[in-house]
Amino acid sequence: MTQVQRVQNHMAEETVDVLIIGSGHSGGMAAKVLTEKGISCLMLNAGPIADARKDTELKPAYALPFRGFKQPGQLPHVFQSNEFNANTWVDEQEVPYTYDPQKPYNWVRVRLFGGRSLFWSRQSFRLSDYEFKGKSHDGFGDDWPISLADLDPYYSRVEAIFRVRGRAEGLPQYPDGNFVPDDSPWTGCMQRFIAAGKQAGVPVCKARSSMGVDGLASSVNLLLPDAFATGKLKAIPNVVVRELSADKNTGLVNEVHFVDRLSRREMSVRARVVVLAAGTLESTRLLLNSKLANYSGVMGHYLIDQVYGPGIVCSVPEARDGKATPELMGGNALVPRFRNINTKEKNFIRGYALNVSSSTRPMDPRNFAAYGEDLQKKLDSYSGSGFSTSIMAEVLAHYEHQVSIDKSVVDAWGIPVLHIDTKYTDNEFNMARDAVDTSVALAEAAGFEVLSKNYEPNPPGYSIHELGTCRMGDNPKTSVLNKWSQSHDIKNLFVVDGSSFVSSGWQNPTMTIVALAMRASEYLAEQMRQRSV
Amino acid sequence: MTPLVPDVVAQTNAHFFTDQQMTTLRRLSEILLPPLNGYPGATTAGTPEFLDFLIGVSPLDRQQMYQSGLDRLNTEAKQHFGVTFAEIQPTQADQLLRPWLKTWMADHPPTEPYAHFINIAHSDIRTATINSQAWSEADNAAGQHEPDVGLFWFPIEPDIYRENPAPACRPTPQKRHS
Repeated sequence: MTQVQRVQNHMAEETVDVLIIGSGHSGGMAAKVLTEKGISCLMLNAGPIADARKDTELKPAYALPFRGFKQPGQLPHVFQSNEFNANTWVDEQEVPYTYDPQKPYNWVRVRLFGGRSLFWSRQSFRLSDYEFKGKSHDGFGDDWPISLADLDPYYSRVEAIFRVRGRAEGLPQYPDGNFVPDDSPWTGCMQRFIAAGKQAGVPVCKARSSMGVDGLASSVNLLLPDAFATGKLKAIPNVVVRELSADKNTGLVNEVHFVDRLSRREMSVRARVVVLAAGTLESTRLLLNSKLANYSGVMGHYLIDQVYGPGIVCSVPEARDGKATPELMGGNALVPRFRNINTKEKNFIRGYALNVSSSTRPMDPRNFAAYGEDLQKKLDSYSGSGFSTSIMAEVLAHYEHQVSIDKSVVDAWGIPVLHIDTKYTDNEFNMARDAVDTSVALAEAAGFEVLSKNYEPNPPGYSIHELGTCRMGDNPKTSVLNKWSQSHDIKNLFVVDGSSFVSSGWQNPTMTIVALAMRASEYLAEQMRQRSV
Repeated sequence: MTPLVPDVVAQTNAHFFTDQQMTTLRRLSEILLPPLNGYPGATTAGTPEFLDFLIGVSPLDRQQMYQSGLDRLNTEAKQHFGVTFAEIQPTQADQLLRPWLKTWMADHPPTEPYAHFINIAHSDIRTATINSQAWSEADNAAGQHEPDVGLFWFPIEPDIYRENPAPACRPTPQKRHS
């Protein structure tokens, strides 16, 4: 046998210890934890590595082909896209999905190395036991198999890595954490809103946000460098995983089949353990296409996200006509869920939060039913006086809200796509109405002029917080994963992204996703040390 | 070499809307965003011709919204004032437009079809004008030293086998408007 043949045979037979699919927050945390425990990992990512130094340029809108308008027909379901950032999102024609036109869904994806962790909003909250034990509180749905106490130590460690800035508020529905203290003063307009909130029994608190490092709070700068530094992580970009296969005798996952994104070359690699971190719906899509880990029959079901869109825009009269000052205007706040905590609402269960912000920038012209010179006068007068609220609301988990494989449509690599079947219910619409009406009442009590309001939720999926479809639970008949994010059916398969969620809560799920990924990875490492997996 | 955008020296030739729709759009643009405070109006910024290009390559529903909206504006002008919309006086135009103007928030324009057109067209006319070369020059002249720029992402390792989809509507270069 020649040297080349020996090397080729070795490469063909090589089995990686842990194969991680996905490089976002959850995959990044899995890689960091496992490699720091001495476990060799191979990470696969569907997209390329982005480098802002070579892949971006500052340009004026007039120099773009469509003057800043989105290229017509491109990314119709990504409302967050514009001509500047269009090339960062997964193209809907390359990786399509299907849905009933009566039930639109906005599936928003990023396949660049680091995934959506490159661009997220940084809002950083813990779930409370009102979310973990929602059923115990109001009888709907199912409780998570874990509680805040189980995740508390992991939240604290994650908050330290991400450098979450916040203020302790002492509210059980807004659990305090391991914060970089936020001692910033309130501006005048915020103090007025807080006072109005106090009168109405609505808490108005400091928001919480990940500061990260050097302006980035991503997998690529906070998590993956530690993993690479161990020398135990190898990462391959531009490979699209087609399916997993399992050993016929043991039922364990043993091989991952993928296609090179650019060349279309089909390849595979064997693995002792697979950690899925491709993002909620991509992980579920992969498992459904592989026909694995669904003994319960609930895989794909209980799709949830969060209601975004409803809110109001106001003006602070004292800040008009050039009178805005940094003492009066600016800043932001967070109204955590206050409904259905100590009270019981008539027409909805669970609750919502409000993002509150004040701006010293010019107002959006759509806040005035005016045009031409009349509009310009209003814009000049109102500039710097803006104050707004917007909702983040829990979406109830229903079995019927689901994803499945649409075998009649394939993506650019021939992989069958997802069919998404969900819609908001009365609970979500009633919550949205309450959020807007409450916002109006507080704003008016604070002496603000309400200019615009929107009661209508954005389409499901807009929040980019899709969760569930591989939910965790103690009962293998009604859940896909156990409380360690491990498949009930296949012991060497873990799913560490948002697909494990049982309920959505109102909170940005990132801190919870990363904490769960940390916890699951430490459990996996210990199982591997004991040779149980 | 200092690259220029073509708008510095060239005009856009409109091909999509009919002659009547184009003159309606030009008058609508003049009325909704005239020159103000040293800044160009929509027609100086080439907005009607740019929108003809943009809508001409847009999906069918957007094209139909614009075409039926412009047609209706013209019909109402003739019905109420006996002139085409292109010939209408500002006070007359105000009577036709003001009842349909609404306040609205991002991604939630009015849903009634004609209100949808009036408000979307207003927003599009403003965007196309404010994002124009002419507006940027006015910003510079007004002493706005911070250029209004954004971070543009180039395609990153684009798929070499990608089949480009056909545009929603192919422009017809043989049709010229005056």
